[in-house]
Amino acid sequence: MELPSSPSTYRPAPLASLPPQLDPAEYSESLEKRQAEAERLAIRARLKRRFQLQLHDPRCTGMIEDPAMHRWTYAKSYNIYPNFRPTPKNSLLGALFGLGPLIFWGYVFKTERDHKEKLIREGKYKRPFALSS
Amino acid sequence: MLKIIIPTIMLIPTTTMCKPTQLWYTTLIHSMLISLLSLQLFYPSLQPIMNFSNHNLQQNQTSTPLIILSCWLTPLMILASQNHLSTEPLSRKRTFIITTIILQMLLIMTFSTTDLIMFFVLFEATLIPTLMMITRWGNQMERLNAGTYFLFYTLMGSLPLLVALLSLYSNTNSLSILTMQLSPTMLKNTWTNSMWLLAALTAFMIKMPLYGLHLWLPKAHVEAPIAGSMILAAILLKLGGYGIIRIMSTTNFLSKTPYYPFMILALWGIIMTSLICLRQTDLKSLIAYSPVSHMGLVTAATLTQTEWAYTGAITLMIAHGLTSSLLFCLANTKLRRIHSRTLLLTQNMQLLLPLMGTWWLLASLTNMALPPTINLMGELTIITSLFNWSNTTIIITGLGTLITATYTLHMFSSTQWGELPQHIKIMTPSHTREHLIMTLHILPMMLLMMKPELIWGPLYC
Repeated sequence: MELPSSPSTYRPAPLASLPPQLDPAEYSESLEKRQAEAERLAIRARLKRRFQLQLHDPRCTGMIEDPAMHRWTYAKSYNIYPNFRPTPKNSLLGALFGLGPLIFWGYVFKTERDHKEKLIREGKYKRPFALSS
Repeated sequence: MLKIIIPTIMLIPTTTMCKPTQLWYTTLIHSMLISLLSLQLFYPSLQPIMNFSNHNLQQNQTSTPLIILSCWLTPLMILASQNHLSTEPLSRKRTFIITTIILQMLLIMTFSTTDLIMFFVLFEATLIPTLMMITRWGNQMERLNAGTYFLFYTLMGSLPLLVALLSLYSNTNSLSILTMQLSPTMLKNTWTNSMWLLAALTAFMIKMPLYGLHLWLPKAHVEAPIAGSMILAAILLKLGGYGIIRIMSTTNFLSKTPYYPFMILALWGIIMTSLICLRQTDLKSLIAYSPVSHMGLVTAATLTQTEWAYTGAITLMIAHGLTSSLLFCLANTKLRRIHSRTLLLTQNMQLLLPLMGTWWLLASLTNMALPPTINLMGELTIITSLFNWSNTTIIITGLGTLITATYTLHMFSSTQWGELPQHIKIMTPSHTREHLIMTLHILPMMLLMMKPELIWGPLYC
């Protein structure tokens, strides 16, 4: 497999992004980027070490708790309304999707029922099956 | 009727006086005997003429299955609460059981009373033991908020109900359910009559719950202890349905326009709450939203006032009561083991607890209204009667059934299949007591499949 002679001959296509190996920015990492990468690696290693310690601890017999999971469930279930603030877009979408379907279905049912009642009153409605006998 | 109420009341002194080691199984066997005794309530409703000695406490084919269900659930509640009450001191255990018994007694009287004002008083009175259960023995701090929501939503609806009942009394000078059924009044479509209907139905709609007024339900169900969740899901929601059926048999509007807001909210609520169920991360919250969609079907059916609709409504109420209670018990077994309600935390439980997996499967199948369970009988009857009411409802009810199947299967597959969790180091095997609770839930469902006429209500033709 040969790399192209100059890096600009291979350009990313709509459905094929540039692989990181052909990106020149991959090979010219600055010092800050390398330090940030090292810090992230340290955090990951610390978390993995904590998990492995808890997993093989003979005295800890319960569940291993994940604080990130607690934060996620709290954020998804209990922390939504305290961070809610009515904005114009918010209110418009709420009225559209909250009240809109109700008005729509009300209109549909009302017109259909009125049509049926009119047919029944004129005696033209054929009962498809005997529902109440 | 007294032979059921007096043993129930007497269970309260029994609880206070029995020895500490005998507390749980004494109350369990006593309440189990009461529930077996309550099965003979089926007998009068299958006879052509019902003769009751008491004028105040009678039963109908509508109320008999609900009375028997509330009697049946009390031993199950006592069984299910043993685990989380094991660390409490003795007097608090006794108080919890006494709260349960008081609730059962109030529910029996609510369903068997013949007077609408007495029904209203007992309807309100059932709020108090439930509130005590939720706010005292719930698990988290949000239980206080949940109790407030639960209490004040229902109370806000019941004040108009009181006014409506009193105005009905001043008009007809009698609020007996027996005579009201014989003379349904044809009401003109005036604003006064529409306001009366709104006032009379709002309390029951909140209790059902109707889609727009359902906010108390997820909070109350999630924060309640297991016995509270069971009785809430199984019986207290059906109080609303029972009240609607009683009120509906007396009113007959010339044009059905006042019913439309409730019908539309109920029907749209079926789809909306099923979709909300799909997005839940909390298992108990998922199980708490599913009654809203099933009771939406029941509400829409009872508002059409046809015989098939009433039959389907009563059937689905009983079937759903058993199914929902079963699902809450299953969720409680999971909660006791991992102390968290998150759905995705326990996967592949079928490998670890296979028999519990069987109960999960049966619960999910009945929740999805699989034929030939009674859930399907109720849902199909309701869908047919709604289709007769208006052909377009089939879109909503069909979509609702589809989405119900989707979230039930999602719940089942999240808990039973998948990768084994690596963070759970100890998983206690299922207790026999837990298997007993599940069996006692499933047994009535299977038996009722054989003779569903018992729960088909008075209008079965």
